[in-house]
Amino acid sequence: MRLWDRILMSLEGVMIALDSLRANKVRAALTISGVAVGVFVVVAMGATVHGVRTSFQSDMDEFGTQTFQIRRRNPGFNSCDPTVDDCPERRYPGVSLAEWKAVRELPEVENAMAWLFGQSTITYRDRQVKNVGYDAQSTEWIQTDQADVFPGRTFTEAEHDAAAQVTLVNQKLATELFGDSDPIGKAIDFDGRQFTVIGVYHTKAGFLKSLDGRGPDTPRAVIPMMTAYRRMGVWRRSMMVMVRPKVEVSRDAAMDAVTATLRGMRGLRPAQPNSFFLVGQDKMMETFDSLFGAIFMVGLGLSAVGLLVGGVGVVAIMMISVTERTREIGVRKALGATRATILWQFLVEAATLTSIGAILGLLIGAGLAWVVRANTPVPASVPVSAVVMSLVAAALTGVVFGMLPATRASRLDPVEALRHE
Amino acid sequence: MSQHLEEEVPLSTTAERKIIVDQAGAAPSKEWVIVTRGVKREYDMGGEIVRALRGVDIAVRRNEYVAIMGPSGSGKSTLMNIIGCLDTPNEGEYWLNGQLVSTMKDDELARVRNKEIGFVFQTFNLLPRATALANVELPLVYAGISSNERRERAMEALEAVQLGERVHHRPNELSGGQRQRVAIARALVNRPSILLADEPTGNLDSKTSEEIMRVFEGLAETGQTVIMVTHEPDIAAHARRVVVLRDGTIESDERREVFTEKLGLTL
Ligand SMILES: Nc1ncnc2c1ncn2[C@@H]1O[C@H](COP(=O)(O)OP(=O)(O)O)[C@@H](O)[C@H]1O
Ligand SMILES: [Mg+2]
Repeated sequence: MRLWDRILMSLEGVMIALDSLRANKVRAALTISGVAVGVFVVVAMGATVHGVRTSFQSDMDEFGTQTFQIRRRNPGFNSCDPTVDDCPERRYPGVSLAEWKAVRELPEVENAMAWLFGQSTITYRDRQVKNVGYDAQSTEWIQTDQADVFPGRTFTEAEHDAAAQVTLVNQKLATELFGDSDPIGKAIDFDGRQFTVIGVYHTKAGFLKSLDGRGPDTPRAVIPMMTAYRRMGVWRRSMMVMVRPKVEVSRDAAMDAVTATLRGMRGLRPAQPNSFFLVGQDKMMETFDSLFGAIFMVGLGLSAVGLLVGGVGVVAIMMISVTERTREIGVRKALGATRATILWQFLVEAATLTSIGAILGLLIGAGLAWVVRANTPVPASVPVSAVVMSLVAAALTGVVFGMLPATRASRLDPVEALRHE
Repeated sequence: MSQHLEEEVPLSTTAERKIIVDQAGAAPSKEWVIVTRGVKREYDMGGEIVRALRGVDIAVRRNEYVAIMGPSGSGKSTLMNIIGCLDTPNEGEYWLNGQLVSTMKDDELARVRNKEIGFVFQTFNLLPRATALANVELPLVYAGISSNERRERAMEALEAVQLGERVHHRPNELSGGQRQRVAIARALVNRPSILLADEPTGNLDSKTSEEIMRVFEGLAETGQTVIMVTHEPDIAAHARRVVVLRDGTIESDERREVFTEKLGLTL
């Protein structure tokens, strides 16, 4: 047969498959739902991971693609267990004030933001907000975070160095503490220390920020790093520095300069390894990908189970279909259909069944992605690759599992088949 | 025509049949559409052997119109299935158009059925979900004919059986007689060398049967080779040659004149 006729016959097969679906709703529903669940799981997970990754990427881009962090510990899976004694990272010193200042003065470096985290219960008169996270940052934060401040202002270099007890609050915290009244100049209490509110800051709501409490829906504050360092009970060893190289300097060159400076200041001999980590964005992305890759593999496993269930359903429904249509197969053979023709016809039917399941799963998955996008900061979206992969996987499932009933149909003896009631 | 046949093809005795079949088998030629020699077909029914055909010799010339009669279970359908290449004999040879088909494999047989054979069944055997046109197009699809030509030829075939108006109807929207005419159109659309009909009027009332028989007669008159199984003598009377089977062997094989004399029928 010519290719075109094959295609036409396949279309006929698709129509017959749709017809037999209508005729055997329960069986068809079983088969379709197995495949649909499998595809749905893959698509929903793919959409979420894709969305989170997109968001992560844009959070990263906000920091600048050249930016890197100086950290005491390595993030992600490959860092060692800090409770184990032979984990060398345990003995690494924190980044010191002197080191931060030295890095900031390097000719390769545009700016370097020192960064500590803390948490306080904040009180204003009779109002109290418990466990407010705050970022204690050097003056560069305003560029690094791309924050807008209104009303009010950020703190000056002098205020920072003097460890002034001034703070900026986000809109959420301002509303919770002050309601509609003007926050600027109000005196608030951080675990017994008085701070003056000098501004309200607004940052873009990335997914990551929301995850670690920096989204607009969580009350949060920014204070000078030095204030936290000197006056609050923060863990100084956890200090991180966000380094942005000058535009004309490559990230690697800046990293080399930082490495040389820190090694020099720490008196490390050439044979000794670095006692700190420089973490670029690509590294962060890798960490992310390995984490979500693992989650995605679990999803793939689940959907393989779904496809298997669908596949078993295909075998069942097609076996029944072959039995019910034995006479039709006999007629087709009497009219000159070869084994291959009958085989092809039933494989197309099987693939149609599973593909319908896949389309259903895709639609539900896309629907879920839409709901997630509308209700959470995760910009979930179904990647095209997931659509193509699901359809191919489903059609393949149909062909593989349809092979048994299709072979059976193709081998029917025409006389026996025609005698079948 | 019949005079000519009588002289050239003496059929009355088993011995005479053997001579012809042996000659035809020894030198297969296109003159003989069908030649079977010593065809046997047995079924194993759980240890018990059912001998449906016990050695059948038959030779059919192009343009003949043959009726096969015999009591139920005498092997008529089994013989038709073998002649129609749906089945192969356990023993013996079968030449179709000079081609030995009794040893062919499945897919070769499928191609022969598609090209050379047109089937008409008692139960019509139309695909229920397909329109009349689609049913008639099916053999052309398997023959690999382009869709335009397919449509054209299927339309022609349906018009030839006076169903030009009903091409888009499904079988359940057609009467029994109309269904059988669709089946005839389908059997003829590939221009087969033989038209096989196994009790084609068995499911029809007598008036519709007459109608269908006229279609077959018309076809036979235009030179189509027809082999038809039937129970009814008045239907067999339409044929010019009647083969009677009993217990899997040919009891008699006679031309119309002799046969109608025996039955006491007049034409
Ligand atoms: N597939 C089969 N399996 C077993 N026995 C069969 C089969 N087909 C036919 N027979 C037997 O072979 C004999 C001839 O059958 P058949 O050719 O159908 O007779 P007819 O068509 O003349 O009524 C019968 O005894 C029948 O029971
Ligand atoms: Mg019969």
